[in-house]
Amino acid sequence: MIQKKVCMVGVFATGKTSLVQRFVHSLFSTKYHSTVGVKIDRKQVQVGTEQVNLLLWDIEGRTADQEIPESYLKGAHAVFYVADGTRRETIDQLFSLRDHVRSAAGDVPSIVALNKHDLKDQWIVTPADTAKLITGGFHALTTSAKSGEGVEDAFRWLATATLTAPPTPTVQPPVRHGN
Amino acid sequence: MARVDTYGLSHAGKVRTVNEDHFAIMTLQKAVHLRATNLQDTTLLDRLRKPQVDIFVVADGVGGGVGGKIASGVAVKAVVEYLAEAVGCVQDFDVDRENAFLENLSQAVERGHHRLKEMFQTQGGPATTLTMVTVVWPRAYVIHLGDSRGYFLRRGTLRQFTRDQTMGNYLVDIGAVTEQHAEKAGLYNVLSSAVGGDFVPTVGVVDLADGDALLLCTDGLTKHVSDERIAQILGSLNAEGAVHSLIDAALDGGGTDNVTVVVAKTE
Repeated sequence: MIQKKVCMVGVFATGKTSLVQRFVHSLFSTKYHSTVGVKIDRKQVQVGTEQVNLLLWDIEGRTADQEIPESYLKGAHAVFYVADGTRRETIDQLFSLRDHVRSAAGDVPSIVALNKHDLKDQWIVTPADTAKLITGGFHALTTSAKSGEGVEDAFRWLATATLTAPPTPTVQPPVRHGN
Repeated sequence: MARVDTYGLSHAGKVRTVNEDHFAIMTLQKAVHLRATNLQDTTLLDRLRKPQVDIFVVADGVGGGVGGKIASGVAVKAVVEYLAEAVGCVQDFDVDRENAFLENLSQAVERGHHRLKEMFQTQGGPATTLTMVTVVWPRAYVIHLGDSRGYFLRRGTLRQFTRDQTMGNYLVDIGAVTEQHAEKAGLYNVLSSAVGGDFVPTVGVVDLADGDALLLCTDGLTKHVSDERIAQILGSLNAEGAVHSLIDAALDGGGTDNVTVVVAKTE
């Protein structure tokens, strides 16, 4: 079976662990627990005729001035960036985060989850924000680990991208904006 | 590679007559020991030296008395046996083979689970927690079931890298009960996952740094000794001294349970 290492990266408390929990175990915890080091989960997904075993490396979130240890990123086949759609700084930092990730893992397929879309009254992502991400080369999707919105789509899109040529900018997953 | 100073000890405590805890500290290495040569250049032999793998395991049997003791012993023995047989898995270790290596570690723990299931075929037979850390410097691979814990101390800050697999944590996480209710109902004392029981291991990785101290322990330590005290002891003594001091602290605090402590300090 094909195995692909997917690194979950983002600033602390953006919902990386919750997205993995939702995708792998169909669970959502209302309690926040910070990850120490890396937690590794597995999930098999069917991509066309291929069974892909995703090894999800849920990497401890960092503050803005801390970098993710490069050793955790080495060998990644894909990167799943997570930003909190209610905290602007987590979106603004995506570009510098990507620079760092690329220096360690290379230019592997990636996706951005704009997470916590269930918190509609606190949602700050504008169409201009998503346009900036897309023109910057990101593939972005709104998600909610709480409701499950977009979670399956995001992981499946990324799994597919690991099996194909680098995704072209014209093949964007849908980006939904807050109400 | 950092030199690792290790020590471990297990104590029945002040109340229990049977010690249901077990631990193991082991090192795997495929090495070439040059006894004598007239070769000018021995760098080739240096390249033949494979990475050293340090493995630390603690297990706390549940099921009462002898059953719990057997469970933790069987699990630790099975892990040690499997890893000794699979020593080849550390040859030519690199990031590309990391997944296979992790798979080997998981299978080692799974062997303990199957062996227990074979021995006690009834539902609800003895089970055990198991926390195993495998260090291929500087990376520490963690396999965890139950509520024995793993911590590391870095520059005076103690961080727990395992999360207790208890019914209390599980039910609070999914919002089924409050923390108060879980505490009152004793749900934090009921394991949601264990070797020989519901087998749902968590797998993790922590990269260590020079000067870090690693601690594995059963709950006989953490129910009596605060994180602050643990950090103070770990930070101030060598591995052997820290182990003795931590066990003494648990006994001074009541010693109501078996207590097992394994410490590894990098230099």
